[in-house]
Amino acid sequence: MTSPSVEVMPAGRARMSPRKRAQYSRVVQYGVLAAVIVGVALSTDWSNMREQVFNLDAVRQMAPDIPQAFINTVRYTFAAFAVAFALGLVLALMKLSSVRLYRVLATGYVEFFRGVPALLVVLAFAFIVPVAFQVKFDSVIVTIALALGMVSAAYLAETLRAGLQAVPKGQVEAARSLGMTSGQTMRGVVIPQAFRLVLPPITNEIVLLTKDTSLVYVMGLSIPDYELTRLARYTLNNVAVGGLTAFVVVGIAYLMITIPLGLLTRWLERKTGAKGHI
Amino acid sequence: MAAVVEIAQLRKSFGEREVLKGIDLTVAPGEVVCVIGPSGSGKSTLLRCVNLLEQPTAGTVTVLGVEVTDPDVDIDRVRTHVGMVFQQFNLFPHRSVLENCTMAQRKVLRRSQAEAEEVARRNLEQVGLGDRADSHPTQLSGGQQQRVAIARALSMDPALMLFDEPTSALDPELVGDVLSVMRDLAESGMTMLVVTHEMAFAREVADRVIFMDDGQIVEQGPPSQIIGEPREERTRTFLARVLDPTHHHEA
Repeated sequence: MTSPSVEVMPAGRARMSPRKRAQYSRVVQYGVLAAVIVGVALSTDWSNMREQVFNLDAVRQMAPDIPQAFINTVRYTFAAFAVAFALGLVLALMKLSSVRLYRVLATGYVEFFRGVPALLVVLAFAFIVPVAFQVKFDSVIVTIALALGMVSAAYLAETLRAGLQAVPKGQVEAARSLGMTSGQTMRGVVIPQAFRLVLPPITNEIVLLTKDTSLVYVMGLSIPDYELTRLARYTLNNVAVGGLTAFVVVGIAYLMITIPLGLLTRWLERKTGAKGHI
Repeated sequence: MAAVVEIAQLRKSFGEREVLKGIDLTVAPGEVVCVIGPSGSGKSTLLRCVNLLEQPTAGTVTVLGVEVTDPDVDIDRVRTHVGMVFQQFNLFPHRSVLENCTMAQRKVLRRSQAEAEEVARRNLEQVGLGDRADSHPTQLSGGQQQRVAIARALSMDPALMLFDEPTSALDPELVGDVLSVMRDLAESGMTMLVVTHEMAFAREVADRVIFMDDGQIVEQGPPSQIIGEPREERTRTFLARVLDPTHHHEA
């Protein structure tokens, strides 16, 4: 008995093999990229750029103020994150509460603070809240931590809720069947496991907060309270030539904060991943 | 002596579907009861009603003299005395083997770190994993994980152990280790309620076998009778399928 023959290579125009086609496609992609880079480089006015945007004299003039501004950016970020995390966790637990009113309140909070620009919230904390409640925040960091923290908490609440719900139900059943209360189960079993799941989105939130600290400028700061962006604007207005250089400098400074954060997260994930895997 | 578990007219519905249709069951101290039956017959739900992982729809469940179907029962207190072993092990993956066994002792029984660890190590030794105390659950095979789960439950010094298909998720060659730990436990006098598909285990270890189908207890008795010479047609059909899976059409 002969097996039915299958025509593997139909007659006609010889086609490129899939491997050849993939190679060809890669060459084209590199070509496009190279063309764009060359195009941008050729159309740039380099002598002007050197004077305006990469001006070392301008860097020298702003240099003494950079460390303080860098530290302020980091301080504002972590103060805001502390508020955001604490409040976000409370909101996430409220969203999962069996009390309906808590769920409604948390949902309302999230919708509100997700919906208004962070700038408005900062303005409100700088000018409206002090009037409304007759309080005076005695330092910039308190105001910015509360304002940005409350905005960020709205986003974190959703992230944390999703993380808490992603922990398998069997984990809760195992803990409860050992006699642990729901609170003990939450603290000892669910939250630690949820934490690992939400580590990457939390890093994302810290990076966003880092950049949002630039919004403090609306409060009208004195120089010791300047953070990176405010310092850059100040430099722009106070050096004769090359003020734009300041933006390049602070851009690099921001990356010096955010890139290590990303590396830290990956390291933490690997570290907990070895034993925290579900 | 008073019964360890007393179930009367237990009913449980999930929405429209009634999964348990009036179960009466008593488990005496030291007794090993195996519950067998086709999937969907309600045997896991029955087990989960004993420690209230499922809330019964009607009927009463009394465990160690406490009526757990009383709405005001302190269920956490009852659960302290009732160990449970799950099909999927459910070890805490973020904690070491030892910590899995000490967490509830510390939090619930308020034992000291030293005492909790001593109890945990003794139980890990008993399930043959004394040398794995510092491992993490993910580093263990399924059979080892299930034995840790048993040690974790035993570390609370329970008066009753519930087993919900403890070997169903295991590779065949790992089933034996878990079953032999369970056999030792039965021989030590532990009261056990076991949902299982392991007929050899039920035949050898159980004092009583219960066959469930469609939310009811169809028949019960000593293993030699239920597995050896079942009276009910449904039991015979089920056993034919389980014991001789490739030939049941000819039966």
